[in-house]
Amino acid sequence: MKKFNIRITTLLFTLLLVMVSCTDLSENPYGEITQKNFNPTQKDIPRLVAPVYTPLRGFMACCYGFVTMQASASDEFLTPGRPNGWGGPYIPYHRFKWDPNHPYVTANWSTFYDGINAANRVLYQIQSGLVTPSSDQAKASLVAEIRAARAFYYYLLMDNYGSVPLVTDFQAKGLPSQSSRKEIYNFVVSELKDAIPDLPEAADQSTYGRMNKWAAKTVLADVYLNATVYLDDTPNTVENTGSPQWDKVLQQTNDIINSGKYHLTSDYHQNFSRDNQNSSEIIFAVPYDEVNAPGNTMHMRVLAPVQQQIYGMKAQPWGGSAAVPQFINSYNSNDKRLEDTWAGGPQIDAAGDTLINFKNNLDNIEQADFDQGWRLTKYEIYQGMSYSSDVDLPIYRYADVLMMKAEALLRTGRASEAAQIVTKVRQRDFDDPTKAEVTGAELQQGSNYNYGYWENGQVTNAQGGGDIKYGRFLDELGWEFAVEGHRRQDLVRFGVFSTKSWFNKKASVSRPCESVFPIPYPALNSNKNLKQHPCYQ
Amino acid sequence: MKIDNTNKIFFVICLAVFFFLKVDAFAQQKVSGTVYDGNSDQTLPGVNILVKGTTNGTTTDAQGHYSLTASASDTLLFSFIGYTTKKVPVNGRSQIDVRLSQTTYSSKDVVVVGYGTQRKEDVTSAVASVSSGDFVESAPKDAASLIKGKVAGLMITEPSGDPTSGSSIKLRGTTTLEASSAPLVLIDGVPGDLSTVAPQNIAKISVLKGGSAAAIYGSRGSNGVILITTKHHKANQPATISYQGYLDVQQIKKTPGFLDAAGVREMNKKYNAGFIDYGYNTDWVHQVLRSSAPLTQEHNLTYSAGDAQTNYTAFVNFHQEDGIFKKSNNKKLLGRLNVHHSMFDGKVIGDLNFLTSIQDYPTVWNNYIWRQAYIRNPTDHIYTQDGSYQTRPQFNYDNPMSLLNEATGQNEDRQMRLNGTITVKPITNLSLKVMGSTSKWDQQRGYAESFQHISTLKNNVNGYASRGESSHTNSLFEFTAKYANDIGAHSFNVLGGYSYQRYIQQAFSMSNSDFPTDVFTYNRIQSGNYLTQGKASMSSSKSSYKLIGFFGRLNYNYDNRYILMGSVRYEGNSKFGAHHKWGWFPALSAGWRISEEDFMNNVDFVNNLKLRIGYGVTGIAPSDAYQSLASYGLGGKFYHNGQWVQSFVPARNANPNLKWERKEETNLGLDFSLFQSRLSGSVDLYERKTKDLLFNYTVPSPPYLYDSILANVGTMSNKGIEASLQYDVFQRKDLTWTTKVNYSTNKNKLVSLSNDQFQSKNNYIDAGYIGESVQLPTHRVYVGGPVGNFYGYKSVGISSDGSWIVEGKNGKHLKYPDETSLTDRQVIGNGIPNHNVSWNNTVKYKNFDLSVLIRGAFDFQILNYNKLFYTNPNYTQYDLLPSAFDKVYGKRQLDSEWAYMSYYVENGDYVKIDNVTVGYTFKVDQLKYVRNARIYISGKNLYTFTGYSGIDPEVRVSGLNPGDDPRDKYPTTRTFTIGLNLKF
Repeated sequence: MKKFNIRITTLLFTLLLVMVSCTDLSENPYGEITQKNFNPTQKDIPRLVAPVYTPLRGFMACCYGFVTMQASASDEFLTPGRPNGWGGPYIPYHRFKWDPNHPYVTANWSTFYDGINAANRVLYQIQSGLVTPSSDQAKASLVAEIRAARAFYYYLLMDNYGSVPLVTDFQAKGLPSQSSRKEIYNFVVSELKDAIPDLPEAADQSTYGRMNKWAAKTVLADVYLNATVYLDDTPNTVENTGSPQWDKVLQQTNDIINSGKYHLTSDYHQNFSRDNQNSSEIIFAVPYDEVNAPGNTMHMRVLAPVQQQIYGMKAQPWGGSAAVPQFINSYNSNDKRLEDTWAGGPQIDAAGDTLINFKNNLDNIEQADFDQGWRLTKYEIYQGMSYSSDVDLPIYRYADVLMMKAEALLRTGRASEAAQIVTKVRQRDFDDPTKAEVTGAELQQGSNYNYGYWENGQVTNAQGGGDIKYGRFLDELGWEFAVEGHRRQDLVRFGVFSTKSWFNKKASVSRPCESVFPIPYPALNSNKNLKQHPCYQ
Repeated sequence: MKIDNTNKIFFVICLAVFFFLKVDAFAQQKVSGTVYDGNSDQTLPGVNILVKGTTNGTTTDAQGHYSLTASASDTLLFSFIGYTTKKVPVNGRSQIDVRLSQTTYSSKDVVVVGYGTQRKEDVTSAVASVSSGDFVESAPKDAASLIKGKVAGLMITEPSGDPTSGSSIKLRGTTTLEASSAPLVLIDGVPGDLSTVAPQNIAKISVLKGGSAAAIYGSRGSNGVILITTKHHKANQPATISYQGYLDVQQIKKTPGFLDAAGVREMNKKYNAGFIDYGYNTDWVHQVLRSSAPLTQEHNLTYSAGDAQTNYTAFVNFHQEDGIFKKSNNKKLLGRLNVHHSMFDGKVIGDLNFLTSIQDYPTVWNNYIWRQAYIRNPTDHIYTQDGSYQTRPQFNYDNPMSLLNEATGQNEDRQMRLNGTITVKPITNLSLKVMGSTSKWDQQRGYAESFQHISTLKNNVNGYASRGESSHTNSLFEFTAKYANDIGAHSFNVLGGYSYQRYIQQAFSMSNSDFPTDVFTYNRIQSGNYLTQGKASMSSSKSSYKLIGFFGRLNYNYDNRYILMGSVRYEGNSKFGAHHKWGWFPALSAGWRISEEDFMNNVDFVNNLKLRIGYGVTGIAPSDAYQSLASYGLGGKFYHNGQWVQSFVPARNANPNLKWERKEETNLGLDFSLFQSRLSGSVDLYERKTKDLLFNYTVPSPPYLYDSILANVGTMSNKGIEASLQYDVFQRKDLTWTTKVNYSTNKNKLVSLSNDQFQSKNNYIDAGYIGESVQLPTHRVYVGGPVGNFYGYKSVGISSDGSWIVEGKNGKHLKYPDETSLTDRQVIGNGIPNHNVSWNNTVKYKNFDLSVLIRGAFDFQILNYNKLFYTNPNYTQYDLLPSAFDKVYGKRQLDSEWAYMSYYVENGDYVKIDNVTVGYTFKVDQLKYVRNARIYISGKNLYTFTGYSGIDPEVRVSGLNPGDDPRDKYPTTRTFTIGLNLKF
């Protein structure tokens, strides 16, 4: 039995060893970046700054990106039920029945705060010395850029959601509460003003897709342009009674114009082409790339499935969205922006066969065949497209700056000066330059848009647009910036948003609070300090 | 009792118990007699006789005779292995002759529990045990199929006819929101899954239902524990070879029944339906179904031989199964070897197990092909005139024959398991056991699409190929020590142990397109262009976790009347957050065998009556590793000065408080056996409360890095009753009939979704999703309500223009969608059956045997996706069900978009003749070499009585969207089997 005892001793000894050494529960993350294995260096700065901008790539995303969110809450764009689906949440959205759970409402809130979060984080990393830029100047410029980008996100939140939580400190603990729309306005203005002196002035590859001085000034001009809305103390009335800031709009736009950094392109289409990063008109853009920066799926959303054959596409388009017929009808027939923006009529393949013939009519928002409604082709459709497009999304163009200036002039009694600018913007769009000319008197007229409820291929209960103050200028904004993410804001500023009917959306004067979207349910739900806007309660 | 160092602790415990000992003060007398076998009247030597409540006892001699002293009021206990213990009061007699009856199914009466076995009568928790003789015999998919309908409270379904899919299991209600609901499966103590071993290699399956039994498995025990014991050679049995084999043939349970070409034309004529008539006639479903009957063959060979010292069991299993669809099949070869070695008079025992398997199956068939087959216009051609596939430009509408014929794909799954144990018994009653095990599973995948596949015909990608590999390795080391002793009427059993487990998972995959030719399929993936252009994907990953536990258990039995079990596991998991690396999982249970009490001596009709009560704490760990650590992921690329730069974005918040879901379960049970055990059964009442529910909570970002966090927040409760009743209808020599009914019901409630840290205003969670244009969740779980509620519009009628009329939130009737908003949705049913019943019958007549299993589920609803999508006459670009053109609510045809209406939520109640097996056992007395021979025929999923209009009402009932019957599901099948069992 002696042998036996040795066995037991050996066994027990082994066990003891095992017991001591094997109560270690540390984790070994092989394929992850955790705090333990990540010490950023100067080289990593662009990687860390990147998330400040990358959320913008959601702007053209299917199915709830910013651009169609704005366009679908306006009189230019809709997404009806199609034979393959669609409709669904887009139907109540078209009817302005907004729900705190609507994916447009929830998705974009997240997009904006993703950017803000990233900005707060990078600012903290720089200011606390976790990452060190190469020089003080580089540091000042980087901090200014991130603050300007963050201000841009807060401007979008203010515009879309009104009063929102204002968080600027990465290390802040506890749940934030809401700041008023006015407080956000003041924050955005002061941040941009602070940042502008330190921002780079270059307008080239080094600042493409990022906040340079001119992009920040354009945002500031845009904020001032809408100040009557943002500073309105009576948001429940249609009138925008906030204190106007037209002079400040003029000041910012003049700075940009006088810098001489940007020019109108000779061809409108150049701004939306596959290589539009070379456009001299684009001030701020979201760069997309089929391989490196996928996410622009607008062509998938709008083209009919059968058009795959025409363009030899590597993915079959989903064929959902189309133009509001009344919007198409509002164009001047000589305006080339109509065909530069929309595809109507027969669509012909290489063999000359008509595969589909788009009509400027839809049965209704619930049900429409694939051939109903004109399709958005403003963003270049090219041969061999895949799921993602190479076309960059221009957020601000030089034309914006010019039109902002024109509006400020128009609204301060300088209509003829405004008309000169508008004419200049229009000239490239007309074969006959005389047709491009607009007068100050014309700009002060009402809108061409035949507002009213659409049934059986025509407008019933016509409201028209003649009563809209500066309606003709609003039309001009519509044609120039169709589906570029502007229209909702413009309709609000011109008092049209809730007072007019179009297609299957009815005027709803009783609830002008709809000019801001509800606070999204997930946000309310995770933060008890947030309160829903009264008209959504 | 000898006191030495090793059992000092036990001595202390014993001392405590001695206080309860009764001291007998009555006068002693001599009692003697003979013990006989109740059947044969032969005398029994070696029977233990004990004066109840004392240590005074003796054994019978070679003639079965005994003699001892006892007092007149004493009770004598006669016990012998293989016989039922009998209690006989002395009642002043001096001569007592006793007949002991043989215990029927003696092997059954040992129940496998965590880290050991227990006599059935000592079990104090809710544990179900099923032995191979009672298994469901026909064409089992995996281990769970064997006990389908056999265990009350354990819902086992086979929701898919896919030859590579397994059973779906649900025990005692939904206890979790997001954590795994899979039970822990241990094969001879080593973790695995239900398909690790072949069903025919299984001797016994134990299901630890109650928390007090499962608590010894700590943070893996919440979903129940299934203990599989494989077949081993029994010592002192002759060498045997046995063969078990079967052939089966399957058929689709029910075809979806869409319009054929004639039907389409008729509807066009009758209703101006609007189907395009391409002028041809194709039965698409027939095209994708296998042209000849799909056959399955399975062969099992078991060799076993050896003596008590050294013996082995070798096992080979071959399974080949064709699915009902083309390119849908499964082939598996599995081998297993067990060597058992005993030395030094049984003081050292070694066991070595080796298992290996290879499984091959194509991966071409998918549910999208199935949908494309039944929704494709039946008037269309398969091929164009020039012989290529006829494609159509409609969205989500692809020629299924191109998808099916032009793809090749094969997976090969391999597993290798090696485990060994050494048991040392240094002194009587003490056994020390060391177990080591390594299991490795790996999978190799290849898939390719030719130039004639839709991917190139329609999407112009010039071929597609992918390759991939995944593997996981599970290593386990366990040490256990057991000590058992009886001191008089006190019986102890103490267990202590340590367990160390490490799990590593790895994967690699790549895909490519734009090939110069499609002849390589996936065997020359570098020849495509997409990968180098950055347009194709390539990925690799690795993760690991560790699980370490210390555990102990004490079983105590006093006089076979009072039974106590206490256990605890102290367990740590690397997945837990820094603040909670370790947790305690205690359990306590007690049993009172009322039938053994003196006052029951005269109650003749009661053979066994036991009351059980138990409480146990178990857990579930988060599914993935690293969830407590903050992490950066790779975000989109960023345009930085002309270059695309990879961004780092937050991917996860840190949660140092992350831990296990804690389930506390109380179980009250009663086991009974009456009228010479002719009627027996058990009833269990349980309440399970899951606290610290794991869920991805939405958090505001900022201040959080990321907008959700995996945290332990909510509470869920389940209460239920399980009952099973068995009755031997006939017990004659030539005819026996046993019938057994199992019933279970469960009430589930989400109690809370908030705690101190996360106070969500939210009072619900949405789950499930209807795609395409509907884009709504199917289910909503409210705080205070049960899991499984369907949440949609309650349709009540149809308007004159064909729109749905729904009942809005204030009870008003509204026209959809003009007058409704999302807030008008409401609860329109629940997908979890309230009542589950199964009824087993076993009849034996001479050499024939018959078993019938009938199962039913009641009081639940099913969302019929096919009805939602394909009974809407507005969508004639797809083929439709004939009822699409019927009047809705008896009024008119529907004229609406696809919508989530209660109209599509149907009652799912069903009664299913699930299994009928008829067997014949040959007389082998005359044959020299054959020990046993039996043939049987069997039918599975034979007939369903139901009002449900879909293919099969037995849909998936687990998860947060139970009762969804998605349109693309691989349909269930009906199976007919012929089998042969031989033993030499």
